[in-house]
Amino acid sequence: MISIPAIGTLAANTMREAIRSKVLYTLLFFAVLLIGTGVLLSTLTYVEGERILQSVGLAAIRLFGAAIAIFIGIGLIHREVERRTIYTILSKPISRGEFLLGKYLGLVATIWLQVLVMGLAFAAVSLLAGAPLGIGHAQALGLAAIELAVVVAFSTLFSSFTTPMLAALFTTGLYALGHLSRDLRDLGSHSDVETVRLVASGLHRVLPDLESFNLTTQALHALPVPGSEVVFAGLYGVGYSAILLVLAVLIFERRDFK
Amino acid sequence: MSWGRRWIFRGAGIALLVAGTAFARTQLPERPATESGDLFVPQPEVARLASLGYRNLVSDYYWLQALQVVGGSAQNPSAHAPLIGRLIDVVTTLDPWVDHPYRFAALWMTDSAESVRKADALLDRGIEHHPDEWRNFFYQGFNRFFYLDEDERAADSLEAATRLPGSPAYLPRLVAKLRAGEGGLDASAAMLEELVRESDDPYARAEYEKALDEIETERRARTLDAARDEFRRRHGRDIVRVEELAEGPDAVLESLPPELHGFEWVLSPEDGRIVSSWYGARYEPLFHASARTEREQMLRGGAAGSSRTESR
Repeated sequence: MISIPAIGTLAANTMREAIRSKVLYTLLFFAVLLIGTGVLLSTLTYVEGERILQSVGLAAIRLFGAAIAIFIGIGLIHREVERRTIYTILSKPISRGEFLLGKYLGLVATIWLQVLVMGLAFAAVSLLAGAPLGIGHAQALGLAAIELAVVVAFSTLFSSFTTPMLAALFTTGLYALGHLSRDLRDLGSHSDVETVRLVASGLHRVLPDLESFNLTTQALHALPVPGSEVVFAGLYGVGYSAILLVLAVLIFERRDFK
Repeated sequence: MSWGRRWIFRGAGIALLVAGTAFARTQLPERPATESGDLFVPQPEVARLASLGYRNLVSDYYWLQALQVVGGSAQNPSAHAPLIGRLIDVVTTLDPWVDHPYRFAALWMTDSAESVRKADALLDRGIEHHPDEWRNFFYQGFNRFFYLDEDERAADSLEAATRLPGSPAYLPRLVAKLRAGEGGLDASAAMLEELVRESDDPYARAEYEKALDEIETERRARTLDAARDEFRRRHGRDIVRVEELAEGPDAVLESLPPELHGFEWVLSPEDGRIVSSWYGARYEPLFHASARTEREQMLRGGAAGSSRTESR
């Protein structure tokens, strides 16, 4: 039986700890700086400057959000083991699964808070520059937040059994692959070899399809996005994260901390 | 060594280091990247894969590079047409919903028939993604008429533009003229005037105004041609100087039309035609007077280009 209060306490502690991290503020500073830099870049063109400003802003949010997710997420378990605080926590009536879930939710909450801060900076810069803001931007930011939750799930999974360095490498690699999985499928579909087509299609199904959370183009060009697309992308993200967390719990429950 | 002295030495050392680095930096030549050939433009598909979900950002980067190429070569941006073509191809592959880059390519990719045709293909992509944008059809029609001498295809594009909201009211008449094979100066001027009106690009506007200026000069030169014919008929000989047309008791003209730039009308030493001493050559509907040789080469290249395309 899962204890919601225990998970909530762990999540709140994780969030408090993450918020104290200097890495977080450094990345957040550069993200906001880059969002602001969009104003300068947009002056380099005589047309579509507002679009460039918002393009840079949305890219900064997604890029630095992913960086925060990876760099904070990879040390999630390692820090507890290194400081031996994990023994104290696990000696209490709390399961390893609850511990991991609490950690994950705490980090996701921290990152979503950062997305909110960066989103507000983006909105402020857009309004000051007279760039249009609409529902498309909200949808893009919402799905970017879901994408980051998936990235955090990956870093949680890897940090449950390996070192921070390897976890960072694996998570970064999967982040890249996640954005290429559609291309992989398309490339495979052009092959004459049936096996290659099957493998490419299989990989596309197994690897995260992070492009499904990318609505930047639609937001920048005010292209219509069906509500169902956003809802199903959200459900896909939540479901994929849940699968990764189940895997992480299964691994973490068998891990020996001696 | 005392604490204060140590810091003075350290400060002096740092200042020396900064000054030395700054000096070395000032000695570096300030060449634009495009001039030194440093600009790397990947294949569009490679760029799309390498952008890892940041397609819009990478697209914008290459768009700014394209602007730098044109801005950095104010004398003759069209000389960089192949580079501009590659850049805009990347820009529009990564983000096909961009709007202006398609017309930017149509404007600056005019050094050869091959470039114009590439810009035409890019405009097709633009039309596919912006089917309600009349300007893409208009630019396509203009390039086909002005650079490729393809009046029928130009009329097709312009006719498509007439059906779209915001297109100028005179377009149907222009289409009819082109269909009837009556392009010439009027059609060129009408299209150029529209391009001047709607262009956001100051460099582009200057180019169009220059072309309009040439057309107006040509109109005046044609008046002089007619007067020259009349002079021959009356006097049984040709003029030696253009001023003869407005001299003597039996002058053909009351006065010579003013040359637009304050220069004068002269007889070209090359072919004996009346020309403005500003331009030194006559305007041809298809060819910019100042670059006639290049345009002739362009047409020859175009023919070769077409056959290459057909052979593929």
